[in-house]
Amino acid sequence: MTDDRFTDPSAAGRLCRAVALRVHTGADPERLGRALALLGPAGARLWVEDVPDGAESPAAALLRERELSRPADPATGPGLRAVLLRYADGAADLVVVAHRAVAADPYEPARALLLEPAAPAAGPAPVPGSASGGAAAGLREQVARLDREPAPAWGLGEPGATTAGARPFTLTVHGDVPVAVTAAAALGLVLARCTVDPEVELGVDPGHSLTFTAGGAATVGEYLARVRDTGPAPCRAPVAGLYVTEPAEVLTGEGVKAETLSARPFLAPLHPLSVHVADDGSTVLSGVCHHRRSVFGDAAAEWLTGMLVTAHRALVTAGPDTPLADVPLFDDEQRHRLAVLGGLGRTPSAPGAAGERIERTVRAWAERTPDATAVSDEGRALTYRQLDERAERIAGSLRALGVAPADRVGVCLDRTADLVVVLLGVLKTGAAYVPMDPAYPADRLAYMTEDAELSLVVTESEAFPSLEGVRTVSPGSLAAEVPEGTPAPGPLSADDAAYVIYTSGSTGRPKGVVVPHRNVGALMDATREDFGLGAQDVWTLFHSSAFDFSVWEIWGCLTTGGRLVVVPYWASRDPQRFARLLGDERVTVLSQTPSAFAQLMEADRAEPVADSVRLVVFGGEPLDTRPLRSWLDRHPASRCRLVNMFGITETTVHVTAQTVTRREALTGSRSVGHPLPGWHVSVLDPEGRELPPGVAGEIHVGGAGVAGQYLNRPELTAQRFVPDPHAPGPMYRSGDRGRLLPDGRLEHLGRLDNQVKLRGFRIELDEIRARLLDAPGVAAAAVVLRRKPGDAAGARLDAYVVLRGGDGVPGGDGDPGGGTAAPAGTEEVRRHAARFLPEHMVPSTVTALPALPLTPNGKIDTARLPEPLTGGGPDASPADEEAGDLETRLRAVWEKVFGFRVGPDDDFFALGGNSLLAVRLLAALRDAAMPVFPLPQLYLHRTVRALAAFLDKAEARA
Amino acid sequence: MITGAARGIGRACAVAYARAGADLLLTDIGRDLPGVPYPLGTADQLAHTALLCREQGAGSAVVTVPADVRDTGDVGAVVEAALDRFGRIDVLLNNAGIAAPSGKTVHDITPDEWDLMLDVDVSGAWRMIRAVGGAMTRQRSGSIVNVASTAGLVGYRHFAGYVTAKHALVGLTKAAALDLAPFGVRVNALCPGSVRDDEAAEGRMLSEIARSLDVPVEEHEQTFTAAQPMNRLIEPDDVAGAALWLASDESRQVTGSTVTVDGGFTSR
Repeated sequence: MTDDRFTDPSAAGRLCRAVALRVHTGADPERLGRALALLGPAGARLWVEDVPDGAESPAAALLRERELSRPADPATGPGLRAVLLRYADGAADLVVVAHRAVAADPYEPARALLLEPAAPAAGPAPVPGSASGGAAAGLREQVARLDREPAPAWGLGEPGATTAGARPFTLTVHGDVPVAVTAAAALGLVLARCTVDPEVELGVDPGHSLTFTAGGAATVGEYLARVRDTGPAPCRAPVAGLYVTEPAEVLTGEGVKAETLSARPFLAPLHPLSVHVADDGSTVLSGVCHHRRSVFGDAAAEWLTGMLVTAHRALVTAGPDTPLADVPLFDDEQRHRLAVLGGLGRTPSAPGAAGERIERTVRAWAERTPDATAVSDEGRALTYRQLDERAERIAGSLRALGVAPADRVGVCLDRTADLVVVLLGVLKTGAAYVPMDPAYPADRLAYMTEDAELSLVVTESEAFPSLEGVRTVSPGSLAAEVPEGTPAPGPLSADDAAYVIYTSGSTGRPKGVVVPHRNVGALMDATREDFGLGAQDVWTLFHSSAFDFSVWEIWGCLTTGGRLVVVPYWASRDPQRFARLLGDERVTVLSQTPSAFAQLMEADRAEPVADSVRLVVFGGEPLDTRPLRSWLDRHPASRCRLVNMFGITETTVHVTAQTVTRREALTGSRSVGHPLPGWHVSVLDPEGRELPPGVAGEIHVGGAGVAGQYLNRPELTAQRFVPDPHAPGPMYRSGDRGRLLPDGRLEHLGRLDNQVKLRGFRIELDEIRARLLDAPGVAAAAVVLRRKPGDAAGARLDAYVVLRGGDGVPGGDGDPGGGTAAPAGTEEVRRHAARFLPEHMVPSTVTALPALPLTPNGKIDTARLPEPLTGGGPDASPADEEAGDLETRLRAVWEKVFGFRVGPDDDFFALGGNSLLAVRLLAALRDAAMPVFPLPQLYLHRTVRALAAFLDKAEARA
Repeated sequence: MITGAARGIGRACAVAYARAGADLLLTDIGRDLPGVPYPLGTADQLAHTALLCREQGAGSAVVTVPADVRDTGDVGAVVEAALDRFGRIDVLLNNAGIAAPSGKTVHDITPDEWDLMLDVDVSGAWRMIRAVGGAMTRQRSGSIVNVASTAGLVGYRHFAGYVTAKHALVGLTKAAALDLAPFGVRVNALCPGSVRDDEAAEGRMLSEIARSLDVPVEEHEQTFTAAQPMNRLIEPDDVAGAALWLASDESRQVTGSTVTVDGGFTSR
């Protein structure tokens, strides 16, 4: 329950206190008026309100409530208001509201009014009315200081909201520690856990607060003692305040009897979160959690209140020796609610594939639609029957080579139809495939082969390292050999491993993730209906089989009866050709990393992507939704659905799904959506305790997709796959930062290890990147922290952007660019970032690139980002255009044209060069009075070194 | 805050505002004025309006303060009381006004009659605006509703002073609207047609106009009704509906406008 009582966001309401007394006898307006004139601040009047209803009527309660929440502003009046409410049944209430600058506690003047002049000695000195101006200004400044603090993200506030909410609760008193201490201890513990900072500051009035530590190895007893011994000190700007009001005595005097009905320490939340506990001396105390909605939303306030009550109960009932770290913030019911919010208990509405092995589901399609095309590859096509038969033959050959169920078979093949046949063939033997990209360095291939204990690798690559005890066979020879009649294995289980995919964490060696068949079936059960996947669909196989996005592409398509279009390498590297392929093949389901899609969007501007594409699935990288606006302009969400999926190899490709509409794109939503049915997520603090919605922590994933183990890495497995308290099976610690939203959607906030430290500042690279993407004309961005080894001072942030609206040519300041729209220059981008980011987060350099380099998996390849030309460290030595040999001078011209450092063996086109840049290069060579050559020569001599050699020879001939 | 709240349109608007949950500061002159040929709102009538507001209101607190809008001191005291009691002023309904002395040809009006009419009907409204302007601009919100008349839009024979005053009030509305718009304060004019002398509201405008014109009230009422396109006289509650809308956030983009509640009279 919440109410909108505190709708006055003004400083006056926050700085006023109020008290209501039921005056049983002595409610004489004449006498009270005289007393007020004598005691009150100058100009204060007694207002009388005759209520045409009884004291217990709802109308009376409403009126009393309105008087109790009406500020008395010393700026427009005396700063103290006394209202006598006279009811039709003869009862009366005296409500006194006083600004803190005028009276510390309105109870004192109320008491004085009632008892004066019968007992003048008992009353306080007259309230100074005139001296309040300075005090009021000081208090207003303190409030303004509170307001200058930025709203913490975990409060889930609605920026701009001017209303406040109020959430009632009760605290049970237990033992002899005063509730002022136990409530402060409980609230402090809640705040410490939510901010992941043990230092707590609780406001007790506008200028003072209690500061204490709610962490460390303390016991409950030590902690309570610590809080008890803390005294108020001048405050900084606490986000939360705690106000415990104490019971007042029954007032009796000559002809007067009155008692307190209600006391308010503020009329509008003084602090963004202002907790009021009314200590009336009983054992069950009522409290209200008041929150300014601009900082703490209703949902956050609800969770906070729940945690406060639970923490309080635990603190007062726990033994003094209980470690503070063991005090829970959630009871079982709240914990269950959190788990359900994270998706626990949701199951696919139409399960079908779960419990089935991949090759059996594909086989079922071969029986149902044998002549439907399963795989197309540059004009070549395989029907489901052909696919099944060929895979069967491969399986037979593999069995003949000794492959048995539970074995692992390496597959190191380029993306072709053969690759798909071989993968299916491996699955048919009951073994798991271990995909390897032929483009990987030999050392990495050797490492994976050894780590996975492979004895057989299917490859055509002559570069595949020869290793002892490892046999390599080509798909051709497997298909050609007639199986020796090795019997097919008996019934195979869906719990067997289907594949082992290697992932390289940011630290340590790559490790193999073992994923069972059952998980892939569950993934399709979770998505088939929502995405409307079926035999009419045409999917692309865009990604390397070594990247698990390909698992989604290949088996997502082939287990739902669709047609899989193998994207040739040249098309995956040339967005315009890829866009054309999408139209030629009438692709319907497209899976892309955001980085690759950014390039496709650029191509789409020139030549629209075919309208056959009805579903784009993003994966592999965090998605910045804002650049998608322009895509949505051209491809309305009603025709082409965009789905952002957060996923991890260890949890079988995907975890959550968020449909991205214009709304998400406009707000720059970081939501990755709800967990897929069957998957569930929890967000935990570094100690493994649940965190409420809004608070960021480490994302943990449980449910149907969790892989269960790293191959041959029991220690790492135990570290990352931890027991799931809510369901059988393990829960994966993702290493990703995220938070739950109150509606159960997950926000992905980057890698925990993407926080870098620069000159002592903790910096979130993703935040800088998001700001760069804000800048007008920026289509893609990347940020890296570069440090010279052993030179902390040399560390700096380098940013890279792709500017939109032109030919992709880096346009420095004053560079006319060449596009239709005027793109922002890099300096402008930097200035834009500097407007929002603190100085230490502003990149030292911003370099424009025609495109960001991508890894074979389609993610941004930070290792291949070039050194920027400007702001280089001591060893930066830009090539000199004027001096040096031809190669050096040539390199200088390249660098001028590209805008970044170029090595002698860098390929012009790999650097992002295109025909327009080539024309510009020739013009620059001409300007520098250097030899010029026919343009096609650049395609033959793509590096500075090769071009220099060519020009040398040409000059010699001339 | 409502001026001229003792009876008539002022009372109807006060009750309508109370029903909408407003706290009210009600004022009226509470005595007769030399030169005005009919009795003005009394303290008892004002107290009765307050009672109606308390009975029919939704938790409304009501304060009554007698004031003469010709007196700068009175006007200041009203605003001070409102701010002391309620802390803010959201709405000012400038309703106080006189319809007589009237009934003369323009050149027969005496200087005193002319000055009195303009002092109450135009300058009185301006004094109130002047007094609340500071509070409303500080609040960055507020709605001022000036009760003018169809006489602020068209002429009536033998009512030169009244017509001049109400036209001026419409002009004041437009000028004030422009001055206060940057502060989020809206100013609008409400132009009622001939309002019936409602018994509950104790109005007597029509009777006074009839008397000014020296015709029996019944005859005057019939003449006016016949001139109304909707064939009936305006009720005080009809005006209150528009006054409530102009006071509320529903009219948040309406300022400097004249809203007629005249049954189509000025559209002919």
